[in-house]
Amino acid sequence: MTRSLWRSSMRYLWSHPWLFGLSIVGVAVGVAMVVSIDLANYSAQEAFELSAETVTGRATHQVRGAGEELDEDVYRLLRVEERIRPVAPVVEGHATIPEAGRTFQLLGVDPIAEGPFRSYASQDAGIELESFMAQRNTALIAEPVAAALGKDPGDELQIRIGGREHTLRIAGLLAAENERSERALESVLVMDVSTAQELLGMEGRLSRIDLILDSGDDEKRSRIESILPESAALERSEARTETVEQMTRAFELNLQALSLLALVVGMFLIYNTMTFSVVQRRPLIGRLRALGVTRREIWGLILGEALLIGVLGTAVGLALGILLAQGLVVLVTQTINDLYYVLTVRQLSVDAWTLAKGVLLGLGATLAATLWPAREATNAPASTVLQRSATESSARKAAPRLAISGALLGGVGGGLLLIPSQSIALSYSALFLLILGFALLIPFVVILLAGGFRPVMDRLFGLIGRMATRGVVTTLSRTSVAIAALVVAVAATVGVGVMIDSFRNTVEVWLEGQLQADVYVQPPSLVFRQADATLDGDVVATFRSAEGVRDAHTVRSVSVRTDRGQSELVAIETGPRTEGAYRLKEGRLGVWDRFEQEPIVMVSEPYAFRNDVAVGDTLQIQTDRGQRPFPVEAIYYDYASDVGAITIHRSVYNRYFDDEAISGLALYTAEGQSVDSLVESLRGMVPEGQEVFIRSNIALREASLEVFDRTFTVTVVLRLLAVLVAFVGVLSALMALQLERSRELAVLRANGMTPSQLWKYVTSQTGVMGLMAGLLAIPLGMILATVLVYVINRRSFGWTLQFDVSPEILLQAVALALVAALLAGLYPSYKMAQANPADALREE
Amino acid sequence: MRTRLIIITLVVAAIALALWYVLGDDPAEIGGTVSPAEALSGDAEGFLRADGPKEFSFPEDHGPHPGYRTEWWYYTGNLTGEDGRRFGYQFTIFRNQLTPPDTAEVDRSSNWATNQLFLAHLAVADVENDLHYGAERFSRGAAELAGAQAEPFRIWLEDWSTEAVGEDTTPMRIRAEDDAFGLDLTVDPVKPKVFHGDRGYDPKGPDAGNASYYISFTRMETSGEITIDGETFNVSGESWMDHEWSTSALTEEQVGWDWFSVQLDNGYDLMYYELREEGGSRSPYTSGTVVDPNSNTVSLHEGDGELEVLERWTSPRSGGEYPIRWRLRIPGEELDLTIESLFPDQEMNVSVRYYEGAIEVGGTHRGEEVSGRGYVEMTGYGDGLGQPRF
Repeated sequence: MTRSLWRSSMRYLWSHPWLFGLSIVGVAVGVAMVVSIDLANYSAQEAFELSAETVTGRATHQVRGAGEELDEDVYRLLRVEERIRPVAPVVEGHATIPEAGRTFQLLGVDPIAEGPFRSYASQDAGIELESFMAQRNTALIAEPVAAALGKDPGDELQIRIGGREHTLRIAGLLAAENERSERALESVLVMDVSTAQELLGMEGRLSRIDLILDSGDDEKRSRIESILPESAALERSEARTETVEQMTRAFELNLQALSLLALVVGMFLIYNTMTFSVVQRRPLIGRLRALGVTRREIWGLILGEALLIGVLGTAVGLALGILLAQGLVVLVTQTINDLYYVLTVRQLSVDAWTLAKGVLLGLGATLAATLWPAREATNAPASTVLQRSATESSARKAAPRLAISGALLGGVGGGLLLIPSQSIALSYSALFLLILGFALLIPFVVILLAGGFRPVMDRLFGLIGRMATRGVVTTLSRTSVAIAALVVAVAATVGVGVMIDSFRNTVEVWLEGQLQADVYVQPPSLVFRQADATLDGDVVATFRSAEGVRDAHTVRSVSVRTDRGQSELVAIETGPRTEGAYRLKEGRLGVWDRFEQEPIVMVSEPYAFRNDVAVGDTLQIQTDRGQRPFPVEAIYYDYASDVGAITIHRSVYNRYFDDEAISGLALYTAEGQSVDSLVESLRGMVPEGQEVFIRSNIALREASLEVFDRTFTVTVVLRLLAVLVAFVGVLSALMALQLERSRELAVLRANGMTPSQLWKYVTSQTGVMGLMAGLLAIPLGMILATVLVYVINRRSFGWTLQFDVSPEILLQAVALALVAALLAGLYPSYKMAQANPADALREE
Repeated sequence: MRTRLIIITLVVAAIALALWYVLGDDPAEIGGTVSPAEALSGDAEGFLRADGPKEFSFPEDHGPHPGYRTEWWYYTGNLTGEDGRRFGYQFTIFRNQLTPPDTAEVDRSSNWATNQLFLAHLAVADVENDLHYGAERFSRGAAELAGAQAEPFRIWLEDWSTEAVGEDTTPMRIRAEDDAFGLDLTVDPVKPKVFHGDRGYDPKGPDAGNASYYISFTRMETSGEITIDGETFNVSGESWMDHEWSTSALTEEQVGWDWFSVQLDNGYDLMYYELREEGGSRSPYTSGTVVDPNSNTVSLHEGDGELEVLERWTSPRSGGEYPIRWRLRIPGEELDLTIESLFPDQEMNVSVRYYEGAIEVGGTHRGEEVSGRGYVEMTGYGDGLGQPRF
């Protein structure tokens, strides 16, 4: 019995290849999106952790200075005077090897002290001190990298650091011990601490001092802390890594949530497919039940089919996901590099857990989406199952009930959003409840809409138009699910689209205000949103006094330690236009008057959000004079970094930090001076071999927006994928619906409907449904956008965005639904027009 | 039906687990080796050479001689605690120049830039317990981490140092401490410095330049503290200090040496070494110096001495078969001595293994019974020729 049941099941799927295939595609795309985003995030994380591990080695703690650097004498103090061992000096930076076309971590070490920390950089690894230590500009690179570049030991290697070119000599090749080490070492340039200091312009200073302390050795720890100069501090090595990892957490979480949204859409598609196949086979199921097939067997049959779709869809989804991840990892890496830190991901790390999660989600979502239809099929008594009209009338009756529960669910979702929590997961849960609630409203709304559409369709297409519209309601059990699936899919694309648009417009307006100077001078920076390089002092002096320059303001950006963790501190010089550049969200009276003289700071909105800082709070900042309190007197809008920044006046900064460096220069032109010609003449003043970006206000704004767009590429790609899922959804749902009606259509044909009338009938019906879906997607899309803009973005990044809807996105949504719907009508009407009505009338 | 579901779930779980296992990363430590480029200057080319007697000038010549590849300040001594307990000690700082002076990089702006590598060896022999403690340190000769200077006299590697106590070069204070042991000694010469070989020029081979400049304080009154495992001993006794610098002292055939320093109870001091060639034969470049109580010296040359090994000991670490008992006769000086290591295992287990041992001496000198103490150094028995001395 079971075998013949299965055979019938298989035969059913086989005879509906479109339906079957599209369901599989629905599951596959959903799984692929979740898996690919997860893999891309995981690969980026793995690469980061590996590179952190490479440079951290076995160090458990590190001593860092107030800013980015530390006086090298602290090392002598620890090692020689205090006999603290093991201890090793580290000078860190980044360098680009143009020939390799990528950025390397520059690791400056003392090979003699390295043994306990990083065996590959130690004397014991076989480093020849004669060339490595005693000669300038020598370095070690990984063997595969050298091979790829066609280099041998002794050869020269060109690198670029902060816009300046240098020639290194390869003192030796790093041969990795295993595959993992090989990956870890392929983006490192190991050099002597002396060479690293000279190349990075860090003479007299170290990036950090590494230590290995036993976890229980508090006595040694406090001894070290007591001897360190005021500006230096001891911290766990992982603390730094964690801080950096923390920066991208919200970014990654949002990508994950977007991918989950795709899965939810996918679930609707599966639900649609399964409901449909159950509904369509009601007569068959009724007959089987009448023949004595038990409910459990029917239940198993439906679940079995779902499982088959789930397994196939998941398998395809996993493969597709890995494929897709190859591209996404590039985009994710690019964004991290633009916004957060330098990261090289050379390959995709396939995480078993991600794949397992993909399997669970794929199968779980399929089975979950099937439970309801399966229950439907098994619970109905055998006699009524045979009556189709019973189903339809009960579906219409159920519509208001569903609408009420939908409204309730939506209410719960909305209520969750009002909870003043920062949890992003909670926000997304609420979002999903809203989507579900809205979906439940749909059958009821469809009935209402159909009433409104009928006269219009009547006028446009006459009887056929009226019939088509009525058909939507008379087969509500099928159409409403299909429309709901479409609405959710299309709304997702609307929501994300509006969110990106709002964000971009906000940034554009902000840039307009922020960029008050006429010309901006910056050294090439590895991370776009961070000023991690410094300008040559001579260049600054030349530019300040250049003809046509009326005024100049410097900017200095350093990473400092505060009582709330590691933060970016930006020291600015102020002028008449500065106040206009900083739009304050909140501020004390007269903050600008005190800013230049008093030890006060302003923080950016994301900073205030992330660190829970309000105006009036005091930040403890580690300076070269020790830890000092700085009251926060204002919070300003800033969209440059979601990590946030603290802003201080340069003259105050200079009192607390022994730092002459300048990260950027803003120039104001003299009266009558053309900006473009000033840019041109300044470019001519840059010494040979040095790269400096000199851009006009407009050019910098464009460059910033370009980077903005680049950082949203991942989101845009995800949105396009959601569009694809939506499209597949429309197509499969409507096509299935029409194919299922072949008998009804045959009756119409037999009663004298011409093929062209049939054509009109089918396409106008799918068109009505598409239009309904498109129209309904707009309010849901707006709800999604509102939640994304006002809740999710705020909770993830602390940004206030201006809600901005472009009509294109809405038109696009309606068009998407409509076009897909019309396309979906093509094949069934073609097929029915071709078929002999008599054949179709015969029972299957 | 339910069973089938369970089976499918199990299969899926099994696949996931297998994937996990196959793809899971081994969180091994990141390791690697380095295949280095040929160092630019492997040979002695470009370095200064010890190629003939020269005028010394002090105190400058107590300090470093950059330009020569190798240099060391070498202290050994036999000490006695207040309760008569005996100790031997060794403290050495080596200066190694990695590249010839003419290739030295000028105008380097980093304080860490240097071609000077310093090594230091520290050892204490606890004779009562037959225990030998040894330790080794490395450092670049820059960034204030290690260095050598004549005025005021100070040779140091991190916190290990020997330096002038007052304004003059001597007396000197030696301080060095490792995890388990350490010392803090003041050494003060009771005889003026001695110039070995030809006025301090000591050839080690037939070619000019295969030689070293070699100056010693052969007898230094010593007092201070030795610490072993947290226990501190007040000690006193006599030390011997060598200061030697060269660029390429040994010829290719020479595989090692046996070197003795002896302080006799009749006021005489003796330095004697033999260079061994491949196959165990003695190199003709054997040398020594006898210093009388009034600091007059007699140089010893090939054939002046006769060294006979009476007993050997095999190192369990290196497998080297080190002699530990000898008969040394220097007929011209009417000297006939039996020399014995105070205990066999005084091998320095450092990057290049060698033997540096406290010795006890007995015999006759000009017909009179004499006894004495000293140190023996032997290289080339264990892992091949040691870098240390010449």
